[in-house]
Amino acid sequence: MSNWERLVWNQQGVLLQGLGVTVEVCLIAFAVAITGGLTLCLIRTYFPPLRFAAIVLIEFFRATPIFVQLVWIAYVWPELFGWPNSFFTAGWLALGLQSSGYLAETFRAGIEGVARGHREAGYSVGMSPLLVFQRIVMPQAVLTVSPSIVNQFTVIVKSSTLISVITVQDLMFQAMKLVNVWYEPIEILTVTAGIYIVMVFLVSTAGKMLADLLRRRYGLAAA
Amino acid sequence: MDVMPAIRVVDLRKNFGALEVLKGVSFDVHTGSVVSMIGASGSGKSTLLRCINFLETPSSGDIFIDGEPMGFRSDASGQRRLRPLSEVNLMRRELGMVFQQFNLWPHMTVLGNVIEAPIRVRGMSRKQAVALGEECLARVHLSEKAREYPARLSGGQQQRVAIARALAIQPKAMLFDEPTSSLDPELTDEVLSVMRELAGDGTTMIVVTHEMAFAREVSDRVLFLHNGLIEEEGPPEQVLGAPKSERCRQFLSKYLH
Amino acid sequence: MSDAFWQSVDLSTFWEYRQVLLAGLWFNVYVFACSATVALAVGLAAALLRVNRSWPFRWIGTVHVELFRNAPDYIMVVWVHFVLPLLLGALIGRRLEIHPFVSAVIALGFVYSGYFAETFRAGIQAIPVGHVEAARACGMADRLILRRIILPQVVRRMLPEAVNQFVSLFKATTIVSLIAVPDLMYQVSMVIATEMRPLPLYTGAALTYFAVIYFVATGVRLLSERWRNKIYA
Repeated sequence: MSNWERLVWNQQGVLLQGLGVTVEVCLIAFAVAITGGLTLCLIRTYFPPLRFAAIVLIEFFRATPIFVQLVWIAYVWPELFGWPNSFFTAGWLALGLQSSGYLAETFRAGIEGVARGHREAGYSVGMSPLLVFQRIVMPQAVLTVSPSIVNQFTVIVKSSTLISVITVQDLMFQAMKLVNVWYEPIEILTVTAGIYIVMVFLVSTAGKMLADLLRRRYGLAAA
Repeated sequence: MDVMPAIRVVDLRKNFGALEVLKGVSFDVHTGSVVSMIGASGSGKSTLLRCINFLETPSSGDIFIDGEPMGFRSDASGQRRLRPLSEVNLMRRELGMVFQQFNLWPHMTVLGNVIEAPIRVRGMSRKQAVALGEECLARVHLSEKAREYPARLSGGQQQRVAIARALAIQPKAMLFDEPTSSLDPELTDEVLSVMRELAGDGTTMIVVTHEMAFAREVSDRVLFLHNGLIEEEGPPEQVLGAPKSERCRQFLSKYLH
Repeated sequence: MSDAFWQSVDLSTFWEYRQVLLAGLWFNVYVFACSATVALAVGLAAALLRVNRSWPFRWIGTVHVELFRNAPDYIMVVWVHFVLPLLLGALIGRRLEIHPFVSAVIALGFVYSGYFAETFRAGIQAIPVGHVEAARACGMADRLILRRIILPQVVRRMLPEAVNQFVSLFKATTIVSLIAVPDLMYQVSMVIATEMRPLPLYTGAALTYFAVIYFVATGVRLLSERWRNKIYA
């Protein structure tokens, strides 16, 4: 029986279970990031009273290392706010918040990238500001930033390896557990690294194809 | 045997894949003379100029600079071989090239652009190179712009700096590839007048151009290229004034009227 | 709750241990400086492979970039820390130990070389081919053209993007605490183990990292903008 079979193939149950947790956390975090990013961006751009607070949050999420944020949210927030009540929640929350800071800036670039003439054309045919935003600005912004959004998902997947540190039982956690059981890290860590690389590669390739498609069909360059 | 020409081009051919751009071109440029090349776009005149400088490697044919073969040489058994790049580089110093798009290096000052090759390629001391560079800038009337970055200059000024940069390698001949084609009409004159002065000083020049009046005034010979061949050549009065070829006449009618 | 709040903003414990914590922060800077050097050198090499004329070189460059750009930095750190010594040891036939600091530098350096390679490549390809031709026409050799004409422009073009990547790299240095490199996060967890006061210490660490990264990055961005504007006015 080869090492690969003993250490990796026969452990596929735990590894797949871990992979499932990874996918789950990443998808929740992605949803949080998009919602949070859009909210922060809209507040920053269109709601002056809270503009400064939004900027501080965006900059804080962007400039603090994900590992530090993760630990901070996992250990300090429950004491501070009584929430999150599990490490699982802390995991997706930290991943989602960090990415929401980046996405807020991405959305802003997308909105600002819409040519002024397009807006003026909308006003000139009698559209209201809200209608112009809905029908003219937003669709273009979403199109131009969609490759960056996909790219942000790859960041989430890569950072998600760190939630194993706060004992969320994701793929990385299961891999490290196996390493600690057998003390034979070569096969298991190589395969785990391979799984992550392939996963991220597939997502980022999808993002590139999306960007190509947008350029070909609408002549839009990614923001 | 007559005097050795500064540049001799013999049966030069160039194809890009299946497309034959030059189909066997031969001509001489004598020292101190100015040769203009005219022709429609796609006639092969820019490719010809770039082949002379080996920015494009010719598919076959020879180029001699002062009798020295440019990109090829024969080895002991008489076989023709491509020269190593280092030797091609050595030969390129004999030819100054001015491009349509100026191609000044944006991260260096005007003087920096001009003295780069003298220092790095010729191995001159900085002091010597600066003296030479200032002299070259004076010839294009831009001494006062020496410390500026290219982005601050007008197109015409940039092209004059490019001419100074080419002069600074002290070439045996200057090659101009449509030097005024990307300039606004009001800026072409300052470039043409610098070129006129160079011609007056006895500089050997090959000029690819659409400025027929300039070609007529300055050139000793004019070549009309069509489909990769020299369709007509001769003194400017003949080629531009009374062309024998019907194609040349048609081409000129678009420019003179 | 307000009790917890005051506890977490009371940074006196954090201040008490400032010396050991500052030493930890310096470790972040060391790891950053070393891995940034590796990342730039390897990244440039990979970029040059990717713009090479012959396809086997391009292919190697592409594999390098895709491999490292898509790898999570944490698993790469762990892989280099646990697996690389075993593989190298098997190769030379004896037990091999790699210092965690070195593992961290190798792992982060190679991961970020993938990002830098793409930035370099974009910078190289953005340079008009005419600039190279003008240099050739002056008789400059390829190596000289790379050094004098291409790289100085690439550096200026890639600066904004490179600053972002330096920021990411610096942030990534916090994970080296997980293989026991004594950086700020590591020192913080050590202090927590003795003081049992995670709130102010984690909060202090988060604020410290934020302040350092935010202000240094903003400063560097400002300076590099000014430098670039001189040329691309």
